[in-house]
Amino acid sequence: MTFGVRGLTVRFGPQVALEDVTLEVPPGRVTAVVGGDGAGKTTLLRVLAGALAPTAGEVRRPGPERIGHLPASSGTYPDLTVRENLAFVAAAYGVPATAARERADELLSRTGLAGALDRLAGELSGGMRRKLGVVCAMLHRPELLVLDEPTTGIDPVSRADLWWLIARAAAEGAAVVLSTSYLDEAERAAWVLALDAGRTLAEGTAEDIVAAVPGAVCRAAERPSGDLARYAWRRGATWRVWLPEGVAPPAGPALELLRPDLADAVTVAALARELAHAGGDRR
Amino acid sequence: MTPLAESLAVSRRFGPLLAVDAVDLRVGPGEVVGLLGANGAGKTTLIRLLLGLLPPSAGSVRLFGEAPSRATRRRIGYVPQGLGLYEDLTPRENLAFAQAAFGGEAGELPGDLGAVADVPVGRLPLGIQRRVAFALALAHRPDLLVLDEPTSGVDPLARARLWEQIRTAAEAGAGALVTTHHMEEAEECDRLVVMADGRVVAEGTLPEIVGDARVVVVETPGWAHAFERLEAAGLQAALVGRTLRVLGVGPREVRGALGDLEARLSEAPATLEERFLELTLGRAAA
Amino acid sequence: MWAMIVKEFRQLRRDHRTLAMMIFLPIVLLVVFGYAASFDVPKIPVNVYGRGAEELAAALRPPFEVREVDPDGWASEAETALRDGEVPVAFLATFEGPHVLIDGSELFTAKATQGALAELAQSVPGAPSTYPRMPSVEILFNEGLETSAIMVPGLAAMILLFVGTVITSLGVVRERQAGTLEQLAVMPLRPWDVFLGKVAPYFLVASVDMVVVVLAGVLLFDVPFRGQVAVLALGAVLFLFVTLGLGVLISSVSQNQGQAIQLALMALLPQVMLSGLIFPLSSMAAGVRWIGYVLPLTYFVRISRGVMLRGAPLGALWPSFAYLAVIGAVVFGLATLRFHRSLAPARTRGEREAVSAR
Repeated sequence: MTFGVRGLTVRFGPQVALEDVTLEVPPGRVTAVVGGDGAGKTTLLRVLAGALAPTAGEVRRPGPERIGHLPASSGTYPDLTVRENLAFVAAAYGVPATAARERADELLSRTGLAGALDRLAGELSGGMRRKLGVVCAMLHRPELLVLDEPTTGIDPVSRADLWWLIARAAAEGAAVVLSTSYLDEAERAAWVLALDAGRTLAEGTAEDIVAAVPGAVCRAAERPSGDLARYAWRRGATWRVWLPEGVAPPAGPALELLRPDLADAVTVAALARELAHAGGDRR
Repeated sequence: MTPLAESLAVSRRFGPLLAVDAVDLRVGPGEVVGLLGANGAGKTTLIRLLLGLLPPSAGSVRLFGEAPSRATRRRIGYVPQGLGLYEDLTPRENLAFAQAAFGGEAGELPGDLGAVADVPVGRLPLGIQRRVAFALALAHRPDLLVLDEPTSGVDPLARARLWEQIRTAAEAGAGALVTTHHMEEAEECDRLVVMADGRVVAEGTLPEIVGDARVVVVETPGWAHAFERLEAAGLQAALVGRTLRVLGVGPREVRGALGDLEARLSEAPATLEERFLELTLGRAAA
Repeated sequence: MWAMIVKEFRQLRRDHRTLAMMIFLPIVLLVVFGYAASFDVPKIPVNVYGRGAEELAAALRPPFEVREVDPDGWASEAETALRDGEVPVAFLATFEGPHVLIDGSELFTAKATQGALAELAQSVPGAPSTYPRMPSVEILFNEGLETSAIMVPGLAAMILLFVGTVITSLGVVRERQAGTLEQLAVMPLRPWDVFLGKVAPYFLVASVDMVVVVLAGVLLFDVPFRGQVAVLALGAVLFLFVTLGLGVLISSVSQNQGQAIQLALMALLPQVMLSGLIFPLSSMAAGVRWIGYVLPLTYFVRISRGVMLRGAPLGALWPSFAYLAVIGAVVFGLATLRFHRSLAPARTRGEREAVSAR
């Protein structure tokens, strides 16, 4: 059973958080939603998890007891210990105590939390608390696992553990959807949806999105001047320049043709949209 | 050329814990140095030592060639992870306070922030807040920028624009020290310093750090099974798309773990993140 | 649902402040209403003046308790004693019989005195010539025995306490909550600048509030202001040091505004109840009254009432001033120290995490 949304629109009063977004979240795979602050990732995930009702459009999701949700900001009770947090989740979802304990033990030990069972969740480091949050969300083997920015601001070691948990959930057959602002991470997902100001910017596998970049992307040592300046952005010590279809490479300093990565592709899409709306109000 | 910030074999102890262990770090004018490390690696302590907020237990810290003092603070622009803005004040008022505190000539908010200059910061979207925080840090033309995860959670286009500001400042002679967990951000730096357990475990440009570390790439239709088998053999496998990447061993061991499972194996260069994991976990095991 | 109950209890067990409030508040209220809340005055200290003072003093019985007998003193000494707050009642032994001066600013004592005098006159029919009839009574300082007269000075005190403790602690904790304390630490500001800069506005606001209350009392409620403004102002400044210091201290042990309010309330409630603001100290059981003697508010209420209603001079009120000065120095000093420390902490979150990650 594939979950997802079709033609989803969400409005908060006059503010449009999402407009006509469609996404499929199939079981056994990891789907990533990318975008910057305010792109609409959290809103989309909340609709999928059943925490928010759409203004228009269709949502397919299982019943609440078959969903696991980790919100961006919390997910664990800081003044309960790790053990107590897990006990609460197990009881709330009706997981029998022994089964819950075994599953928790396995997941915790594999992610380095086994020694922290009696520590207060509020005293754990950010990475450990997030791992606990994901374990709590997947303790009851949900069919749909919704994780909002699970790895933002988390150190790489904890991030590796978090991805182990995510991969494990997908291996168990769950439909996993997560949001991230890290594009290199989005490349690890089987399907990517890029949002910008509530609208779909690009979607597909990472390869699809890269292949769909119109024109070409080059690297330049300096910022190009004149007309091309608005097609350029900084990346490391050099500049990237996008040459849309029909725009000729300029004479002058050589531009090195590149194979764009996902970050380049998404940047091009955002840039294209921005230039199309030139003069309009952009967030 | 005097480095802007320098630590010489600096250590800091908290009771039994050695948070920073004999670290040498330099940030010169015009360079952007990235500081990477897991939580508890000592990044925050090192930053506090460099800013003069903590006295070292051993070694010394130099800012602009002298010991940290109130005068040296004037030449530093700091953006913490929480942005450090007063939410009930407007950007203009925040700027006024920062300028009064730092002295220096009166600056202006960058043109495109003019529209929101009089809206309380708490009501502005996060992306704009970040730009305000940057503007504040740069307003008094500091010689050293210290930025804690400056573009965490930011989309690529906005990230490029924020980094443009950092680069412009560096080209004018300032230096920047950036802490980050984020490999995309690390790529933006001239030089990286990787910390684990309070020590520097690697230092240099990105290619220098990654070196020729390699991983084994496993492509198979049934990745879930492959995952289980690799796990069972005690190997570190990470899911990327629909392939698995295995750290720390060669193709022979991977094939052995997979057994009769149908899979195509190849080798690929490691990413910075994978190299980082190798360095950090390797150190932890030591 | 059971899981919910268990979880809530576990969280409550760890939330020490709420637990403290849940236990502390009922105890305070119990103590107050059991031992302190009373308007009955059991003992009325008196001085006796004039020729014939000794005989008069000998004839006086409880509730009157003779403190001083001064045959050479007369009306002016009696008035001074009352003004300076030495005793609430003075007897003058005149030829026409005893003339009683009552301090109207001690409202409940005054009413109790009236009652006691009426009893005296009735209980001694055909008594010796010292009691030919009901003694003549003169009420000083609050002739109408108005409650508003004693409440307004008390209110002024409460405003200083409220703004100083509650509002200040909220303002300072807001800095910590917002995470901007870190930024302040890195700016080229002296910790002293930050501290005073943070506290000064509340100082100003509290002062303005107090002036408004006093003016309203004088102009709208006909509360007298007989003393020197400078004396009251000095007392207010000293008291503000205490309350502002307390506010900053509270904020230094609170992580967020909710916690700050909890502590501030716990500091506020006993003071309001047990400082003599509402219930007179003399009515409280001795075992509880000592708490009143420790609370700073008690002394400022004395200063406030003394200056406004009785015109008491600085010299008469010096013990109250001294107490406030000492407590103020201690509390404010502690607050400054803690604030300095919070701007350059030895341990940051990062290190604590590192320790806990081991």
